[in-house]
Amino acid sequence: MIFGNPWMLVGALGALIPLLVHLFDRRRPRPHPFPPMAFVLRSQKRTASRLKLKRLLLYALRTLILLAIPVALARPELRKDAQAAAVAKGPAATALVLDASLSMRWGKDSSLFERGRDEARDALKDLQADEPSTVLVCTSTPAAPPPPGFDRARLRAIIDEAKPTYGTADLSRCMEMAARALEENPTPGKRLVLISDMTASAFRLEAPPPTVKDPTGKLVRPEVVLRDVVSGQEALPNHALVDMKIESALQAGPRAFQFTFTVKNHGPEALKDLEAAVRVGESTLAKGFVDVPANGTAQKTLTVRFPQGGTVEGAVTLAPDELPEDDQRAFVLPVPRALKALVVNGAPHATRYRDEAFFVEAALSAPGSPVEVAVRDTDAGLRENFSAYDLVLLLNVSPPSPEDAERLASFVDAGGGLFVSMGDRVDPDAYNKRLGTLLPRALRLVRTSVEREDPEAETKSAKLAQVEVEHPLFSPFTGRAEEGLVGARFYRYMLLEADSPAAAGTSQVLATYEDGAPAVAVARRGKGRVALFTSTVDRDWSDFAIRTSFLPLMQRFAAYLTGSLEERVEQRVRVGETVTLRPEGGQAIAAVRAPDGTELPVKAQQDGSLVAGPVVEPGLHAVLGAEGKPLQALDFPVTLDPAESDLTRVPTDTLTAYFGEETVKASSSDAERPKVPLWTWLIVAACAAFFLEGTLLRK
Amino acid sequence: MTLLDAQTLSRLQGVKLRARAVMEGVLSGLHKSPHQGQSVEFAEHKEYAPGDELRHLDWKAYGKFDKYYIKRFEHETNLRSVMVVDASASMGYRSGVLSKLEVSTILAGALCYLLVRQQDAAGLAVMVGDAFKDVPPRASAGHLNVLLDALEHIQAQGTTNLAGAADHLAEVLPRRSTVIVLSDLLDERQDALKRILALRQRKNDVVLFHVVDPAELTFPFDDPTLFLDMEGDSRIEVNPREIKESYLEEFGAFLASVKSACAEADVDYELVRTDERLDEVLLRFLGRRGRRR
Repeated sequence: MIFGNPWMLVGALGALIPLLVHLFDRRRPRPHPFPPMAFVLRSQKRTASRLKLKRLLLYALRTLILLAIPVALARPELRKDAQAAAVAKGPAATALVLDASLSMRWGKDSSLFERGRDEARDALKDLQADEPSTVLVCTSTPAAPPPPGFDRARLRAIIDEAKPTYGTADLSRCMEMAARALEENPTPGKRLVLISDMTASAFRLEAPPPTVKDPTGKLVRPEVVLRDVVSGQEALPNHALVDMKIESALQAGPRAFQFTFTVKNHGPEALKDLEAAVRVGESTLAKGFVDVPANGTAQKTLTVRFPQGGTVEGAVTLAPDELPEDDQRAFVLPVPRALKALVVNGAPHATRYRDEAFFVEAALSAPGSPVEVAVRDTDAGLRENFSAYDLVLLLNVSPPSPEDAERLASFVDAGGGLFVSMGDRVDPDAYNKRLGTLLPRALRLVRTSVEREDPEAETKSAKLAQVEVEHPLFSPFTGRAEEGLVGARFYRYMLLEADSPAAAGTSQVLATYEDGAPAVAVARRGKGRVALFTSTVDRDWSDFAIRTSFLPLMQRFAAYLTGSLEERVEQRVRVGETVTLRPEGGQAIAAVRAPDGTELPVKAQQDGSLVAGPVVEPGLHAVLGAEGKPLQALDFPVTLDPAESDLTRVPTDTLTAYFGEETVKASSSDAERPKVPLWTWLIVAACAAFFLEGTLLRK
Repeated sequence: MTLLDAQTLSRLQGVKLRARAVMEGVLSGLHKSPHQGQSVEFAEHKEYAPGDELRHLDWKAYGKFDKYYIKRFEHETNLRSVMVVDASASMGYRSGVLSKLEVSTILAGALCYLLVRQQDAAGLAVMVGDAFKDVPPRASAGHLNVLLDALEHIQAQGTTNLAGAADHLAEVLPRRSTVIVLSDLLDERQDALKRILALRQRKNDVVLFHVVDPAELTFPFDDPTLFLDMEGDSRIEVNPREIKESYLEEFGAFLASVKSACAEADVDYELVRTDERLDEVLLRFLGRRGRRR
């Protein structure tokens, strides 16, 4: 017998009220002289026995009413002793398999796992003294159970210490492991007790059911006892955040991002106005509502504009339900910071649109761009203190002096970005001589595909043929956006030398013309980056500057060269997996800390990366450098397996058929419990007692 | 006639006033008194039938019509009546404004008025426990005051002894008297009622006014009550609601048995509730008597 609201049983003390009233609240009768006393005496004598019985009945009925109501409110349920049927068969070595998957965390006041632990303790209590037993806590990586024994205290300790995990559990595998553990035991009977919420995702019903070897070596099916911790519910309603995508939303501002997430409703009821929010720390940055059909999915997009750059860590959350763990997802987002760019204009012109820097300045200063542009001519530009800028753009600039070249190299080495575009003022030899170590590749000579004034320039001009859209610089230029890129006509461009074998792999060609000549090459130099565009950024050598792709590409150049453009692939890590961390620039990783403060095991790899994990908890994991300094750029979110959010249960009939109808001896499943809980009968009894009491009083 | 309800009577002081008020109410309710007293008046002729007394043959009518006619008269004899009033302690019970004893004395007084007014002899026997107070019957007008004075001073006390009263009356009363008994009949002795009714066998005309209180008939008690015996020491604590049904059965059976015994013994029985209008009780009684004759 278990009680849903055991504290209500205190009210059962009210059953003493009739007795107390009888003992202490006796009213004094009023004396009354009455002539026909003989008739009163005779009547009293005649009715005495009947009255005594009536009083007893009234007392019993009132006590029943006052007892039944609080006991009914305590919601009692009768649980059959699952092992009772097995007692007659003799002792059996028993293995308890306790489901510790994420779905067992379901529940508001007390989780299914708490109920499961109670069930496990009950199952242990129900065992006969001569039945050896063991316990297996079924997680995504279950440990082999200890051999069956009679040390019940140790098993109780295992049950008490068991905790629900955030991962999936393969109950089929756990049952198999438990069966193996029973095999060694000489007790002829074998029994598996499964304590679970019986969610479908935990079973592999296509796998064969567990078997054990009998003393003759023959495989037989053990007796299976199903203890279902979900009482009286056919399905467990749950909604979950199953996917999330974060994209920049330039239309909303320089540091605006779109959070697009998918909500799955695993319940039979449609969800209306489910709250969804983007939170950073305690503050809510965006909030919206989403309707999700029953057993369906819905997408919601929230746009957030961050006030400043840097790495932002937060979470997207849904209104919590009985399983709140899958109602949120953490994110780590590098938000571009405000950039200062020095544009060195190598070919100024009085007519603005013929000015070398006109288009670049317009692109970088466009609304929503985080770049603050300073345009200088060659002399003034090269005299500037480069360290005051994040990015320097040399647009058709005459070869700098060796001193300026040296300062540029230092600037890049310290983390600055350098963009170099070609033009008639660029002398390849002088460039190679002074900036050779800085440029991704050495310059060779200028190639003219067609003169601009040629009537056939339209067809004979070069076009971009191959673009590395996998690279973050070009990643947005896919689909229709690619047309703006490949439609540009290039009349003249600088050919580059091949990569020298000594420096192989240090540069990367991201776009080429139709003849295979590089159009864009990039390279890392020290902590900085250099990009080389082999044509002009005005209309002298190409019409790229008036193409739709020019503006976004220049902005992405700025972001990429300054390290603001997220280059690394977003870490998609699920609970139970390991994560590979690639520290940059000789960063040392001291520890990886889970949300609950525990540290993950970290193992260094030969290529300099580190493997942390397996992770056991969802949420934001912090990476700490030397002396505990946080390395926010390496922090990563861990998500749950969406499959575990689906709490669809396997029907008892299916499980019985799977394990074998002749082996599933006693089940505490809902199907075998009385349809009407015990408390409704108590209410009926109280009502009947109330009616009888009234009838008796009237007589 | 509202003057004669129990409330009004209770405000009148003394049996004389009360009995007179009842008697006047009775007289005004009668259109023509069938009780003409000793004055023998011709009432009607009746054709002679064998067995009729020849002395009542009207010879003058025979001379005129050549047929035999018998003369009939309103009254033929003088009445000699004794009021037997039960003055036991139980008669002192009242749930309303008048006790059973007060009702009995008023009824007895009113009857005395009527009898003396008709020049019939009226007497009184008061049962007080085992003792009796007698006022012999006389028909003089001055005797009425004696009777009313005696009724005035009756106090309820002692136990009911109907059998003793019957024995006493058998000794003192001549035959063919009218015995009017006013009692609650709460005498537990087995043959008490039989002995009273046996007076009828001595050629007496017996009338029984069974005086009961409404509370005895309806048992209107709710709260737990300690009932005390008015003529003994017994007491009992009961919840009246629990025994009400049984009590009403018992008391109903008692009334039925008394009524049945009276009918068997050819005794006039009149159940009188103390909250009834007494003039109506008497009119009912006299009307029935008239129909019987």
